[in-house]
Amino acid sequence: MAEHLLDVEDLRTYFSTEEGVVKAVDGVSFKVKAGERRGVVGESGCGKSVTAMSIMRLIEPPAGEIVTGTIQFDGRDLLKLSEAEMQDVRGGEIAMIFQDPMTALNPVYTIGDQLIETILLHQDVSKSEARNIAITALDDVQIPYAKNRMEDYPHQFSGGMRQRVMIAMGLSCEPKLLIADEPTTALDVTTQAQIMSLMLDLAEERNTAVLLITHDLGVVAGFCDTIQVMYAGTIVERGTGDEIFYNPQHPYTWGLLGSMTRLDESQQDRLNSVRGAPPSLIAPPRGCRFGPRCDFATDICREALPILHQSQEGQKVACHRASELDLKSLTVGVSS
Amino acid sequence: MTERPESDALVLDAAEGISAEPITQWDLFVTRLRRHRLATIAFFYMAFIAYVALMAPLFTCEKNDVFCGRQPVSMSFVTTVIMLIIAAGSLYLTYRSFRSGLRGAGVALGAVGLVSVLFLVSSWGLVDIPHINHYADQLPDDSGRILVNIAPRGSLPLGTDDLGRDVLSRVIHGGRASLAVGIVVGSLVALLGTVVGSLAGYYPGVVDQSLMRFTDLMLGLPLLPVAIVVGRVLPELRFLPDFLKQGAWGIAVLLGVLVWGSLARIVRAEFLSLREKEFVEAARAAGANDRRIIFRHILPNAISPIIVQTTLVVGTAIIIEAALSFLGFGVRPPIPTWGGMASSGAAIAVRGFWWELVFSAGALISTVLAINFMGDGLRDALDPTQTIERK
Repeated sequence: MAEHLLDVEDLRTYFSTEEGVVKAVDGVSFKVKAGERRGVVGESGCGKSVTAMSIMRLIEPPAGEIVTGTIQFDGRDLLKLSEAEMQDVRGGEIAMIFQDPMTALNPVYTIGDQLIETILLHQDVSKSEARNIAITALDDVQIPYAKNRMEDYPHQFSGGMRQRVMIAMGLSCEPKLLIADEPTTALDVTTQAQIMSLMLDLAEERNTAVLLITHDLGVVAGFCDTIQVMYAGTIVERGTGDEIFYNPQHPYTWGLLGSMTRLDESQQDRLNSVRGAPPSLIAPPRGCRFGPRCDFATDICREALPILHQSQEGQKVACHRASELDLKSLTVGVSS
Repeated sequence: MTERPESDALVLDAAEGISAEPITQWDLFVTRLRRHRLATIAFFYMAFIAYVALMAPLFTCEKNDVFCGRQPVSMSFVTTVIMLIIAAGSLYLTYRSFRSGLRGAGVALGAVGLVSVLFLVSSWGLVDIPHINHYADQLPDDSGRILVNIAPRGSLPLGTDDLGRDVLSRVIHGGRASLAVGIVVGSLVALLGTVVGSLAGYYPGVVDQSLMRFTDLMLGLPLLPVAIVVGRVLPELRFLPDFLKQGAWGIAVLLGVLVWGSLARIVRAEFLSLREKEFVEAARAAGANDRRIIFRHILPNAISPIIVQTTLVVGTAIIIEAALSFLGFGVRPPIPTWGGMASSGAAIAVRGFWWELVFSAGALISTVLAINFMGDGLRDALDPTQTIERK
């Protein structure tokens, strides 16, 4: 077995549209260890979800296509598997939780039916054994009276409970990797916290690696061991939670952190934002993709695309000026 | 389906506003269906029409002579077996209905069971049951004259037609053609339309394009002329089995393979929207293959429009069959059909002999209406998210 559970190398996923080729994921490489909890953050449309869908091979041709790259999972290249082999991986070894629990459950089947179906699909057990596994799974995600609620339909559950059911479904087959694509976006804040702590407990207990995709830095902070920041289809910074939060090296990460609402800092008049909008992924800007929005951009930023390299501070960063800038000491918004 | 144990968990459930009574999905289905009063009536009506039409040959005289009236039934071995199954099944369901408090259904099923038992007993020569006149045989009076255009009266409740045949018997036997068309067209349309629509909606590109262009072609066919031409040719085809050449079966199959286009389009549209739903994505992410996604995840969600459209198409097909018979191209005389009777009835209605037209057309219209109401009720009843509150 390889050292890493998941090893994505130079992944490029492109979508062809009428306006041109959208390079949604453009050369992404990263590794996730078994049991590691990795956060993937970034604005909307920066390639987070497409990366996840590419790992699951749920990108549907002819619209989208994984152009190059390898996705080594547990010693196998997922991109070389047949569709039938991939179906065993999906749900069995890699499970996925979606953004909107209101629509991710099939409205015409009971919760129990849907859990049992997934279990029967991946485990060699009888129907009554599957039923017991399903009840245990519901118990594990703290659904009260799991045995009775098996016969209920999704519309009889609240949003938070449905997301618990999705988690139960995802974890019922004991996957090695759980991909959670903005699992709490559609939930209210208190439910968010419950769901995240539940996921943390369950993942820790089973040593399940988690790829948590979100644009909510607050969610990532308490949950993830490591964080990667994505921008315009590339990874711009990667490091441990502490490195990213307390010592950002990339101006984009720094901007994202500055745009968070915080209760522990003095009140400012206005909340900062990263100015501008993400660039077109059809014709990304020359040089650094963040260049046009960056307060620190210089000539070299407009000429050459920075590559992800080891910074002096420990994390990896894709910025030409990372070593010169001392972002930690700057307050966001000063120079703009 | 579910037996929830009596425990304090239930009390807590109830406290959370969750129903703790053991309501099964079937209970909900029945409750929703019963709330649809028209649909309920339509169900009983269609069951009645179907049973009478199905059993018609058993209580019809072979010749309209003096002996027609009360007779023992003669049944073949196969018919006897079928009748035994019907009798046992409906009596069991009667018991079940009364136990779950469905008195109407219980009475109806009980009646079916008792009549079936009566047929069985009669076939063993123990009881005579009243027979109706033969549908194609003329009725003579005591002096041997043919009773032509007799208005409805006690012994001939629906009168006779211009050839002196019993209209009651003809209406009952005419239902067999409509029933055959309904069953065959319904099954064929549901099958073909769903398969074509599902595949076209699920697989974009070549599959979708070729299937839908073919569907457009089918929808573009002028139904009546094609049915007339093919219907004329059918009996001449040597390789066809005999039952397709006579009676309504051939017409029914023909209509079935012609009219699935509208359903295919609707199913395709449903699939196009449903395949983008997150639960389909979730199913795929859970490792489901295409077949499972199509049949288990998407199709059940598209069942309402399929039912409604199929019942509408069945209603239309029955009317088209009637139109063909009306024009003289459908089922060959002397086998009666409601369309054929309406045709000959219309010819004599202008002379004041209204009953053949009114009773045949009435049977046709009420049947088509009942089928549409049934579809309506089924659609509402099958929707698990619909609440059961009284309006």
